[in-house]
Amino acid sequence: MYAIAVGGSLAALAIATGGLSLLLLGAGLVLRWPATIPWAVLASGAGYLITREGHAVVDGWAALVGVALLLAAELAFWSIEHDRRIRTERALVVRRVWTLVMLAAAALFVDFVLLAAAAVTASAGVLLAAVGVAAAVAAVAVVLRLARA
Amino acid sequence: MTRSATPKLVAYAALSAVGLLTALVFARPELVALTAPFLLALGAGLALATPPRIDGEVELEQPRALEGEVVAARIELAASAPVDRLDLYLRLPDGIELEDGSNPVALRLRSGERRELELELRAARWGGHVLGPVYLRAGDPLGFLTWETAAETRRELRTYPREDVLRRTLTPRETQVFSGNEVARTKGEGIEFADIRTWAAGDTLKRVNWRASARRGDLWVNESHPERNTDVILFVDSFAEARRGGEGTLDLAVRATATLADAYVRRRDRVGLIAFGGILRWLTPATGIIQLYRVIDALLDTQIVLSYYWKEIDVIPRRTLPPNALVIGLSPLLDPRSVGALLDLRARGFDLAVVDISPVPFAHRPRGGLDAIAFDIWTLRRDALRHRLQRAGVAVVEWQADAPLQAILEEVRSFRRYARHARA
Repeated sequence: MYAIAVGGSLAALAIATGGLSLLLLGAGLVLRWPATIPWAVLASGAGYLITREGHAVVDGWAALVGVALLLAAELAFWSIEHDRRIRTERALVVRRVWTLVMLAAAALFVDFVLLAAAAVTASAGVLLAAVGVAAAVAAVAVVLRLARA
Repeated sequence: MTRSATPKLVAYAALSAVGLLTALVFARPELVALTAPFLLALGAGLALATPPRIDGEVELEQPRALEGEVVAARIELAASAPVDRLDLYLRLPDGIELEDGSNPVALRLRSGERRELELELRAARWGGHVLGPVYLRAGDPLGFLTWETAAETRRELRTYPREDVLRRTLTPRETQVFSGNEVARTKGEGIEFADIRTWAAGDTLKRVNWRASARRGDLWVNESHPERNTDVILFVDSFAEARRGGEGTLDLAVRATATLADAYVRRRDRVGLIAFGGILRWLTPATGIIQLYRVIDALLDTQIVLSYYWKEIDVIPRRTLPPNALVIGLSPLLDPRSVGALLDLRARGFDLAVVDISPVPFAHRPRGGLDAIAFDIWTLRRDALRHRLQRAGVAVVEWQADAPLQAILEEVRSFRRYARHARA
């Protein structure tokens, strides 16, 4: 939908990627196979990236797209985890919905801050790119370390 | 507790890594915006995840129940650390059904909270059923990590088989020496009139039959049959059974055995048990309510165990089969070992009656072809086997599942009354 709205020379490719994303998501939900969900998110992200081809200005809607992708992934995992045989207390469902809302709100805030910072243009050099890569790798390493702890 | 990562953790970590690296490669800040929510969720989820500390205990309202009875069970949970999501499942064995309540259930426990979950369980089938363990699976608020454990809290629910009402039981041909409710064939001190005879030294005055004495001009005394007890051995064949749905021949045998044991114990008879099968069990005859519970407890542990070992009646201790005992066999006559043991008992002169618990209603007759012919031959061979036992002087009656036990016992009684006694 976003690709159609934005248009552009690569709109058809973006729509195809979006379709693939939907297909993967649907297959994951029907087959209760969580491994397809990150691929669906990746395909959606790729579709969004294709629509941004040729645009130099930072897109403010990216924050909403990011939160939407997170919500889609969360709801998809929730659907796959859900077992009809397990009776879930109502308070538990309410709490999970509330957690998702809070998470989405926090993610939206973080995204806005990030995009605002990115809007301040800076000359990108090799040194800065290296620092960025190191930061990204370190962030993932910290996450994995936390997971192993 | 066993901790494990969910597929969601792996997916979010991979998305974060790919997103951040792609953002750097393509120099697109939007990709960071797409990735940041996943990274935030991952960080928040792992930061909030705390190992749960839960104690679970199962309590039963009563440790014993009758078949078909509803028993209340209570699962007590105590959390010393908060558990955002707890999936709980109490494993119910075959024969125990959930009547009311939630199992499995997902709930949330705060730190220090104690919860009690009420379940109503129906004891659907006789047997010694072990409830548990309680499987617990806890998760963090965002579902990245799970902790699994099984609370080894097991409770046994002994379900006694339901009994039929018997108005009359089988009477053995011979009685024993102790007093009971059975009128003996012999003459002695008793209530039931037997005969008159001439007076002899030592006869008490109250036994004199004055009317007969006046008519005959001599002293005549009454003789009576004493009331004695009997020995009854219940022989349960547990080599094989026919089963369909939730019902089988062993269920009928166990219910009938419990009914007979109850009826004979009420008559102050001595009751013994032989569970003849893959696992051999026996109880020497005794009387009283304690013996009844012994018999039923032994029955609860009876099960079909596959065995190729050829057992004969010699393996049973001699005291288990006292002389002049009535042996009531409850068998589907499916295994040649049990048929051989029954014929062996008859050959040794035991008073034997066999209730053939028919497996035919539990088998489906094929519509046609060779299978249908095989089925018909099988039923014919069963008829021939019954006739073989009858020729040996054994009272054999086929018991279809829907017939009451009393009707079958009446058939056995009539057979024993009118059948010619074959030479053993």
